[in-house]
Amino acid sequence: MHKRRKALALAAAGTSAVLALTACGGGGGSDEGGTKEVTWVINSLPSTWAAISSAGGSVYTVQMLSGVLPYTGQWQPDGTYEYDLTVLAEEPKVINDDLDAGPFQYSITLAEDAVWSDGTPMTGDDLRVTWMMGASPDEGYCTTCDPRSTTTADMIEKIEVDGKTATVTLKEGLADPEWMGMFDAHNVAGGFYPAHLAEENGWDIDDPDQLGEYYTWLHDTRPEFSGGPYMIVDGDLENQVVKEPNPEWFGEEPKLDRIIMTYNTDEGTFINAFQNGEIDGANPAQYSEDIVTQLQDMGEGVTLTIAEGNIWEHVDINLGNEFLKDKELRTAIFTAINRDQIAERNFGATYPEYELKNNHIFGSDSQYFEDHITESGQGSGDVEAATEILEEAGYEIEDGTLTLDGEQVGPFRLRSTDTVVRNNSLQLIQAQLNEIGIETTIELTDDLGTMLAERDYDIVQFGWSGTPYFATSAAQFWDSESESNFGGLANDDVDEAAEGSATALTLDEAAVKANEAVAAVVPEAYVLPIMAEPNYFFVNDRLANVQDNLQSSYRATYNIGEWDIAQ
Amino acid sequence: MLVYTVRRVLSSIPILILASVLTFVLIDVSGDPLSDLRMQQPPPDPSVIQLAEERLYLDRSMPERYWLWMTGIGGHGDIGLLQGKFGPSTQSTTYDIGENLMMRLGTTLRLVGAAMVFAFGLAVIAGVVSAMRQYSKLDYSLTFIGFLALAMPVFWFAGIIQQAGVGFNELAGSMVFATIGDGQFQAQGLDFWGQIGNTFKYMTLPTIVLMLTSFASWSRYQRTSMLEVLNSDYVRLARAKGLPNRVVIRRHALRTALIPLTTVVAVGVAGVIDGAILTERVFQWRGLGEFFITAVEKNDSYALMAWLLLSGTMVIVANLIADLLYGVLDPRIRYE
Amino acid sequence: MSEMKVSAAPESTGAESVGGAERTQMQMILSRFLRHRAAMISLVVLVLIALTAFIGPLFWKWGHTIHLDIPPNQPPSADHPLGTTTAGHDVLGQLMRGAQQTLKVAFTVSIMGTVIGSLWGAAAGYYGGRVDAIMMRVVDVFMIVPLLVMVSAVAGNAQAGTTWYAVAFIIGFFSWAQIARVVRGVVLSLREQEFVEAARAAGASPGWIIVRHLLPNAAGPIIVAATLLIAVAILLEAGMSFLQFGIQPPDISLGQMINDARTAAATRPWLFYPPGVLLVVICLTINFIGDGLRDALDPRQTMVRR
Repeated sequence: MHKRRKALALAAAGTSAVLALTACGGGGGSDEGGTKEVTWVINSLPSTWAAISSAGGSVYTVQMLSGVLPYTGQWQPDGTYEYDLTVLAEEPKVINDDLDAGPFQYSITLAEDAVWSDGTPMTGDDLRVTWMMGASPDEGYCTTCDPRSTTTADMIEKIEVDGKTATVTLKEGLADPEWMGMFDAHNVAGGFYPAHLAEENGWDIDDPDQLGEYYTWLHDTRPEFSGGPYMIVDGDLENQVVKEPNPEWFGEEPKLDRIIMTYNTDEGTFINAFQNGEIDGANPAQYSEDIVTQLQDMGEGVTLTIAEGNIWEHVDINLGNEFLKDKELRTAIFTAINRDQIAERNFGATYPEYELKNNHIFGSDSQYFEDHITESGQGSGDVEAATEILEEAGYEIEDGTLTLDGEQVGPFRLRSTDTVVRNNSLQLIQAQLNEIGIETTIELTDDLGTMLAERDYDIVQFGWSGTPYFATSAAQFWDSESESNFGGLANDDVDEAAEGSATALTLDEAAVKANEAVAAVVPEAYVLPIMAEPNYFFVNDRLANVQDNLQSSYRATYNIGEWDIAQ
Repeated sequence: MLVYTVRRVLSSIPILILASVLTFVLIDVSGDPLSDLRMQQPPPDPSVIQLAEERLYLDRSMPERYWLWMTGIGGHGDIGLLQGKFGPSTQSTTYDIGENLMMRLGTTLRLVGAAMVFAFGLAVIAGVVSAMRQYSKLDYSLTFIGFLALAMPVFWFAGIIQQAGVGFNELAGSMVFATIGDGQFQAQGLDFWGQIGNTFKYMTLPTIVLMLTSFASWSRYQRTSMLEVLNSDYVRLARAKGLPNRVVIRRHALRTALIPLTTVVAVGVAGVIDGAILTERVFQWRGLGEFFITAVEKNDSYALMAWLLLSGTMVIVANLIADLLYGVLDPRIRYE
Repeated sequence: MSEMKVSAAPESTGAESVGGAERTQMQMILSRFLRHRAAMISLVVLVLIALTAFIGPLFWKWGHTIHLDIPPNQPPSADHPLGTTTAGHDVLGQLMRGAQQTLKVAFTVSIMGTVIGSLWGAAAGYYGGRVDAIMMRVVDVFMIVPLLVMVSAVAGNAQAGTTWYAVAFIIGFFSWAQIARVVRGVVLSLREQEFVEAARAAGASPGWIIVRHLLPNAAGPIIVAATLLIAVAILLEAGMSFLQFGIQPPDISLGQMINDARTAAATRPWLFYPPGVLLVVICLTINFIGDGLRDALDPRQTMVRR
C-alpha cells in the first residue's frame, strides 16, 4: 500500500529495462475431460494491453502477453543468448561495423513460414512498425507515442524492408553493441507487433498521427492476434486472461489446451490458494521467508527454486552533504557497513547460499564479472579499519561520537522505502555506523523517485534492476550528466569509461569499459552494492518444463510454448 | 416528507462540492501523478513527460484544474464531471475511469450487499436474544462472540478463515470453498444450479469476513437499544396489560429498538465499503477496494476523485434513507 | 401528528436517585461497575497489559530495534522469551513497544473522537432546524471523505515517516462524525421530552442543558460508541499497517507486527501469535469494560427487574 506496490526498485540498465519487480510462474487447474489446463499467477495487474508505453511497461503486462508476441531471441536462464530460429530464417547479421566506412548496419530475416494468427505472413514491416512506435515522438514517426524507453530505437536512422528481410541502419557515427536486443524478448514491447493490423483498421503506419492511433489501439484492445504459440481468447485487465493454442503457430505444437493467467496482488494468499489447487505456482515479487519455509516444508509435489533476482540493493551517499563530500569519511562509512550481516539477517535463514554483489554491472555468473569490492574493504564491517581511516583524516571519536575539529559529524538522514528488507537493512546500518560514532536517523519515503531526484537524503538504500544488457548502465548510473546519477558524482575517469561502454562496437569491448568504470567508481566510495535480492519461484510438480528465467521480464513464462503436464 | 426529501437531496449538493474541493486539494498535494514516470530508468524523453503533463492537465494550476474537472470547459473532451466525464487516468491513456468504476461497483455491491444483509439479520437476532435473556449464559456467549469478532483485524481473520477453508476442502476431498477470486469467470457457461454452487464457493469466505465486524458492532447496538426499550415504562405497561410476550417484543419493543440501529447501519455502508478494501485485497476481488488502492498507489487523482464522489453519494443516500426511516419508525420525530 | 406520551424518561441525573438512598450517584455507578465481573477482570488485565507496555521496556534489556548482539531467527529461549526475528529483533521488546504505541493511538483517538463527536452531535440535535442542518452537513463531509484517503495523503507527505501521534491525530480527527450522528439521534428524541422542556422553562442555558441533561442521558450510547471506537482505532491502525500507511518503522505497532508475520503462522508461531493474541485480548478487555460501564452508567435498567 500500499503503499504496498509502489515501485520498489528503479529499473536500470540497457535498452530494455522494465520497471522490473516480479514475474510469476506456476500453473494449476484440473484435467477435467482430458483438457490440459494450467492456472498461472501474474503478481499484479497489467495496466494496459501493450507494454511499450510508460503506463503499460510493467513486467506484469509483459507476462500477460507471453506466448503472444513473437521475438527474435532471448536470454536463457543460464545466461546464454539464443536467437529464436522458429521466427528467424537465420541468425541476424551485422553488415557494417566499421564506422569510418559508413553507418552501423545489420539485417534480420524472418522465417519463410512465419505467419500471424490470421494467416498474414510476418514481414520486415512488422519490425519497422515496432521500431517507429518505440522511438521518441521527437523523431517524427509517431505523434502521440510515449514509449518508456527510447535509447535503442532512437539510434536507428532507417529500416529498409524487402519482404521477410529488414535492414537496419543506425545514425551516422553511432554504434550499438546490443543491437540484437532491438526486437528480442527484452525490448520495450516484449517482442514485435504486426504492421498489417494497422492497415486493416485503416491507419497508415507512415503517417505519424495515424501510427499514434494504432499505438493507442494496441494499448486499448485485447489482442486477438498472435505470433506465438498461444493466443488470448478471453479476459480483461482486472482478473485474468485465458490463452489457447494459436492454430496458425508455425513452431512446435504447444502442449496445453488452456492457460489461465490470473492476476493476484497479495503474496499472502499464495500458500492457501496453492494448497487449495486454485493456482499451481507463482513467482512472487518480494522474497518472503515464511512462504519459502512453508514451501520447503511441503516437500513433495512442489518445485521451489531461489536465486538472485535482477534487482540489486545498494547504498548511495549524497555528495552534496557538507560532511559527506569528504571521500575519507565516505570510505570509512562504507568500510563500517557489514554487508554480510545485512544479507545474512535478511535471507540467511531460508537462503544461506546468498551472494554479496561485488560488481555493480555484472552478476557473478557473468563471463565479464570481476570482483571490485572485496579488496577495497568496503562493506566488510571492519570497524577498526574504518576508525583508522577516520583518525588519519583528522576525525576523532569522543564518547562514542565522531567529531571533526570539535564539531559533531552528522547526524545523517538514512533513507529508503518501506519494505521489510530495507527496514531491516537500515536498522542494521544504523547500528553499524553507531560503532564508529556516527548518528543516523531513519526516514522512510513512499516516493523514491522524487526523493532521489530532489537529492533529499544523506545516505540512501534502493535497488536497481538489471537485465543482461549492460552497455549503457555505467553511463546511466554515474555519468556526471546523467539524470540518474542522483548523489552528484563527477569523475572524469568514470565518465570516459562509462561513455566508452555505451558506444562500443562489441559486447566484449563494452564490458571492458564497464569494468573500468566500476574500478574508477569504487575508490570514490559513492555507491556500495549489497546484494541482489533473491527471487523465488514455485510450481506444482504436475507441470513439466516450467522453470524460472531471472534474465527475463517474462520470468517463467519465457518458454510458455514448451509447458506441459507431467506424464 | 417529500418536501423534506427534496430539500435533503438539494442540500447534499453543496456537501458534495465542499467534500470534492477538500479532497481535490488533499489529493493534489499528496503526490505527484507522474512520479512513477519520472523515476523510470532510463529517464523517459522530456517530450514524453511533457505529453503526459498535457494529457493530465498538470500544466495548469490547481484551481484551474478543479474548475476543469467540474465543468470540462477548455479540456480535451475527456474531462468534466457535469458532462459525465471523469478525466484522464495516470494508469494508461485509454483507462476509462467511469467505465472501470461502474464495472467494479457491481463486484463490490455483490460482496457488500451479501455481507450487510447477513450481518443485519444476524445482528438483530443476536441483539434481541441477548437483551431478552440479559445476563444468561446465552447472552454472555453471544456477547463474547461479538466482542471477539470486534477484536480481530480483518486481514488477520481473513487469513485464518482462508486456512480453515483449505482445511475443510482437504477433509471434504474437493474444493468446496475457493480462497481467491470472485468466481465470475468460473461462472461462465454454468446452468442455474451451477451458478448457485459457484456463487457459494467463491462468496462464502469473503462474506463471512466482511460480515463479521459489522455483525458484531450492530448486534451490540441492537442489544443496547433493545435493553433500553425493554426497561421502559410503556413496555412494562404493555406487559402489565397482559399482552403476550411475543406481541410485546414484536409490536412494541423491536420497532422502537430498531431506530438507533437504522442510523448505525446506514452509516455502516461507508464502514463496510472501507472494510471491503481489506477484504477484497485478501480475497483478490477486483472491486472498488482494489480500485481505490490502485488509484492511491498510482497517484491517480481523477480516479480517486471519481471514487470519492461515488462513495460520497452512497453515504449521502444511505443517510437520507436513515433519516427517513427515523420518521417512519419514530412518530415523535417530525420532518416539516 | 399526535405526540405519544412517554413517561419512561428518568427525572434527571440529579444527585438523588429515585430509591432515595443516601449514596451518591457516583458511588452507585462504581458499585454497579464493581459487581460486573467480566468488566472488572478485563480492567485488571488491561491495566496489567498497559503497565507492562509502558513500564516493562524500562526493565527489559532489549528494545524494539535491531540489535547486533541478538542472534537471528531464534525460537523462544530464556534470553529471548518470545524468540527473535531473522533481522535480530527481540520479539518481547517489540511486543511491549508495539502494545504501547497501539494503546497510545487508540486512547488518543477515542478521547478526541468522543469529545468532538458528542459535543457536536448534541449541539446539532438540541438546536435543531438550520443549525442542525448545517452542522450535520459538516458531519456528512467528514463521513464521505474516506479515512484511508486522508491517511495516505498525510502519510505520503510526512517527511519523517508517520509517528504514533500523527496516526492517532489523523484517525481521531476523522472518526468523530459517527459518534456525532449517534448522539444527535438520541438527543433528537430526548429534546422533545418533559425534563428538557422543564429545564428550559427554568431558564437553563443551552450549554448547561446539553452538558447536564442531554449528554448524561445519552451516556449509554456514547460510552458504547466510545469503547467501540477504541477497538475500531486499534483495528484501523492494523488495517493501515496492512496497507502500509500506518506507523512507520523502525517504530512499531501491534498491527505492524501482525502484518509482518501474517504468513508465519505455520513456520514461526512465535512471531505470529503474540501480537495477534495480544491485540485481540486488548480489544476484548476494552469491549468488556465498555459493557460494564454501560450497565453501571445506565440507571434505568437497574430499576427494573423482570
